[in-house]
Amino acid sequence: MQMLSEDDLNLREMTREELDAAWDLWFDLAQSTNDADPLYEHGVFAQTIVSAVQRVARAIPDAPQIAPRR
Amino acid sequence: MANVYFELTEAFNAEEPTVALASGQAAVFYRVAIMSKDGDWVVRESPEGCARVLAVLASHGARYRLSSPLDVRWLSGGWSSHFEFFDERRRRVRCDFVSRPPRVPTASIDALFNRHAPPALITVDVESLIWMKHTQRAKDYPIIGPLAALLPPEREVLLTTDPDRVLALAVTHGARATRPAVRAALSGDRRAVVLALAGEADDYQQRDRRRVEHYETAAARYLEVCRAMHVVDLPIHEAHARMCEAAEQYLPTRVTGISDADAE
Repeated sequence: MQMLSEDDLNLREMTREELDAAWDLWFDLAQSTNDADPLYEHGVFAQTIVSAVQRVARAIPDAPQIAPRR
Repeated sequence: MANVYFELTEAFNAEEPTVALASGQAAVFYRVAIMSKDGDWVVRESPEGCARVLAVLASHGARYRLSSPLDVRWLSGGWSSHFEFFDERRRRVRCDFVSRPPRVPTASIDALFNRHAPPALITVDVESLIWMKHTQRAKDYPIIGPLAALLPPEREVLLTTDPDRVLALAVTHGARATRPAVRAALSGDRRAVVLALAGEADDYQQRDRRRVEHYETAAARYLEVCRAMHVVDLPIHEAHARMCEAAEQYLPTRVTGISDADAE
């Protein structure tokens, strides 16, 4: 399902100011998912931190479980 | 309102070429994506470059996240450094750094910083960005198609993840290619192209997963020590000093099992 029109999707024809404004609006909205974001998106610690949280969770039976990110 | 990650890039580079914008924000820069929430940079592998980045981040009140210290001893072994702060509008800004992104030749990184009169908004070149996107995450592969479309056709046919583009370019630009998807396209077998691309992506994902697992094993003790010191709660320069002390004892600068191609 396409959510935006072709005009909206035409990033290449935006001015720098238009692109910045579009990203800024999206960044505002994206703050609402901060608590649900992966701990690390990039780098060599992505899996490390998840594994450490899982080890703690396994030690606490009622703790919420975190699925490995793939 | 300007993109905070573009502004940070320019601030890091205000005195000399120090960082190149990478990953998702580079895709925003190249106008093939808009939804990228964090900032990733390749930092020039020098004490001065690291000091400049730490100084700019300190001016924003940034704190370290659990990670390697931003120091050439560990950066040169492929480790990554991670920070976080909240901007004046209380938006979370995350900043990630490597100096040797996996799969990218060292010469390509050197070229970023050794150009004549580089712009303040230095950005990783498209082909290096594509190689950086060959991660363990399936969600990184669809963006490779639009990025590859920015390359000359003889390179696009070797790198795109779009089966339609492989089929369109194979005859004119893929005759000598050894890439299985291109060979399948030359035989006119669309299904084989799709399967070859899927298999190729999975191979890259598995390889990157194995790479990260080596770092995971090597970092375990160091991360325990950093947690115990609560480095994420300390001012950035104090945290940096303590993390370097811990890393000198517990974090190997070189990780065994990492191939040359992955360490570069």
